[in-house]
Amino acid sequence: MGEMFRTAFQRPVTKDYPFGAPQVAERFRGKLDIDPVKCTGCGVCEAVCPATVITMIPVGKRKVAGREIENKRPVFDLYTCISCGQCVDDCRFGALWLTHEFELATTDKNSLVMNKALKVVV
Amino acid sequence: MQYSPENMVPFGPVHPALKEPEYFKLILEGEKIVEVIPRIGYVHRGIERAAQDRTWIKNVYLFERICGICSFAHSIAYTQAIENLLQFEIPRRARYIRLIIAELERIHSHLLWLGLVGYWTGFDTLFMWIWKDREHVLDLVETITGNRIHKSYSTISGVRRDLPDNIGEPLRKEMKYIEERSEYYKSLVSSEETLVIRTRGIGRINQDIVRKLCPVGPLLRCTGIARDVRVEDPYAAYDEIIPDVKTSNDGDIASLLLLRIEEVKESCRLVLEAFEKIPSGPVKLTAPRSVPKGEAIFHVEAPRGELFYFVRSPGGTIPDRVKIRTPTMANLLTATEMLKGHTLADVPVVLTGMDPCFGCMDRVSIVELDKSKQWAIRGEELRQFGIDWYKQRRSKT
Amino acid sequence: MNALQIAEILLFPGLTFFVWLAFVFDWLDRKTSARMQGRVGPLLAGPHGILQPVADFFKLTSKEEIIPEYADKFVFLWGPPLFFAAPAVGTIFLPVAGLNALVFDPYDLLFILFLLAFSTLMAAMLGYASAGRYSTIAIGRLVVQYTSFEVPLIISIITPAVLAGSLSVEGIVVAQSHYWYILFAPISFAVFIIATLAELEKPPFDIPSAKTEIVAGWMTEFSARSLAYVKLTKNLSYVFLSALAVSLFLGGPSGPVLTQASTLQNLLYLIYFLVKLFAVGFGIFAIRTSLARIRIEQAASLFWTILTPLSLLQLGIVIFLR
Repeated sequence: MGEMFRTAFQRPVTKDYPFGAPQVAERFRGKLDIDPVKCTGCGVCEAVCPATVITMIPVGKRKVAGREIENKRPVFDLYTCISCGQCVDDCRFGALWLTHEFELATTDKNSLVMNKALKVVV
Repeated sequence: MQYSPENMVPFGPVHPALKEPEYFKLILEGEKIVEVIPRIGYVHRGIERAAQDRTWIKNVYLFERICGICSFAHSIAYTQAIENLLQFEIPRRARYIRLIIAELERIHSHLLWLGLVGYWTGFDTLFMWIWKDREHVLDLVETITGNRIHKSYSTISGVRRDLPDNIGEPLRKEMKYIEERSEYYKSLVSSEETLVIRTRGIGRINQDIVRKLCPVGPLLRCTGIARDVRVEDPYAAYDEIIPDVKTSNDGDIASLLLLRIEEVKESCRLVLEAFEKIPSGPVKLTAPRSVPKGEAIFHVEAPRGELFYFVRSPGGTIPDRVKIRTPTMANLLTATEMLKGHTLADVPVVLTGMDPCFGCMDRVSIVELDKSKQWAIRGEELRQFGIDWYKQRRSKT
Repeated sequence: MNALQIAEILLFPGLTFFVWLAFVFDWLDRKTSARMQGRVGPLLAGPHGILQPVADFFKLTSKEEIIPEYADKFVFLWGPPLFFAAPAVGTIFLPVAGLNALVFDPYDLLFILFLLAFSTLMAAMLGYASAGRYSTIAIGRLVVQYTSFEVPLIISIITPAVLAGSLSVEGIVVAQSHYWYILFAPISFAVFIIATLAELEKPPFDIPSAKTEIVAGWMTEFSARSLAYVKLTKNLSYVFLSALAVSLFLGGPSGPVLTQASTLQNLLYLIYFLVKLFAVGFGIFAIRTSLARIRIEQAASLFWTILTPLSLLQLGIVIFLR
């Protein structure tokens, strides 16, 4: 009973969000982001994604070991992404990382498609 | 048992007392319950079938989403089963980190249940206070793993990331805080008169019922039988940091309350001990994509009891069969047995005394067709079966 | 009855005033129990959320009314206004602003007891008219609870009547101008408060509308306008019973008389009344926040075996001392 009165006079625990700033930990896994320059189109991210977010799209051709093969880059359907970070762990080139952004609700699915890797093709 | 609509009260599937939907038919005489008939299958999601389409590493994320509260237990059971198949020896540091997170999860799960006991007995204040303290644990988990519930932290050859550098100070502070608050809650549940009369002597089970119906986890330990997978078959780092198995003796809900509070305190001690003794080294190795042919089983002590995984690999990148037996499945019949002879007012408290996680349990719904012995049933056939069944039922009543 | 009296009954300090007090009590209840639990309670509707109960009321009236198929439509629709009438009529007998109540009758305490029984009867009828499984269980519990707490409640109400030698609320208030009856009959006051918790279905006695067991008890099937009135009536009963406690045991609006001017005097009386009312209210909020819900047979045994003898004992002491 005494606990009750003590709690009554302390500040309540409710956080102020959305009227205040959201507080997330440093390792919080939010929206995915890519650095298109580092991406080489190896396709490992597509193979390991549990939510089939990533599709490799052909963007041209390149020469590898004397043969001409398709050059691919990833397109991310981020509305399906579960922010697990497996692609981040498995990308050898460090092109992917998870930001702290989490306010992703939208009425337009296409606004959550990330295709900026298609634009930078080496 | 024969019953008529007058003395059958449906509890669920959707009910304020249950977090997840399950249907219990309570057969009453007046306000006294004489039989409970459960029907499960309301949260069946086809996870075992979905696992057969995904590669080994993708399945880690599938299985951790079976349950929010014991998510990490599923995660480590699956990854350790595969590590057995691969015959890997994961780094020692990874084993210690797995222990720390598993115990943190046990604390959060028990605190969740304790708060919900307050909610189910109408004691909202206890509910709010305990969940306020649980936030401390969840914030700690978020600092370490990046997310509060679906931790995505264990991977096939260890853990994905190391602990943050300055985690020692907050860890010690929070564990000490949780220990103090557990002491306070222990005195509260023993002395708060209205809570005591709601929980003492309710749902009493004894060792005969236990031998007949084989419950697992805290439900088993509250009758005085000290069995715990962490001690009998150690995994992660439990062979070096040995938990002290707590029991309580009365077999009723009040003793379940005390038992879980004791387990919370024990988990705090284990976390601190593991953190002091943690060895340095790598936290994961590179795992191959394909797993050799074979079968592996693994069981862990999830917060609710013994969680059991069976994995069969055909020698490729995709599993052939994964079977999961969750603790709630084992406890369900014991809980319905606990209810007999009590009144309707005790139903929420007793049914949830086993800390049910129907989301975990329901994946194990077994489909039997007596016409053709199929293992899987097609979606369209299932839908047609459902339509026919309801049509038949409506024409009967 | 002239126009002024009608205005007084309808507006101040009669019906509208008490309905406003009912909203304030609901807000205070939610806010204090939230603060004691470490939450914020209502926050956004009006400053500090004070308009939240009003917002709830209007939101409910704007929803679609769903009547169950087998329900008794007449009782279902016309029951809630009658249910509302019970405490509403009771409030006109309580002195609020001034030592005289709006309507005086030498036996109005008995009428108030009838109104309490009537409101429980209406609750049972509303549950019965809902024809739902949960409502049926709830009515059983409601009737058991009512019969259990009625006897201690009546005895603890009769005690101040015996002390004052009058069976009207106004008479009891006037007789307390020197000493408040809580000093003479503290056990009755405690029993009255506990019985109030049972009447209002607040923890530890919210058995007939136990949220996690029988969904919402006898209120389960009500949806829009009916639910708004039912909730308003529950809050009004809250205020009414607290005001009754204040009038019977704490001297109603009486207090130190500081001026002789009649309007200022009445204002002072009003202030004293409100202060005491909120004090009793806070006491009830604190008790309700700190206890769990008990079972119906435990509640029944509590009332019959402990509270009834205690209140009889108090009555005996009072008669002896007079």
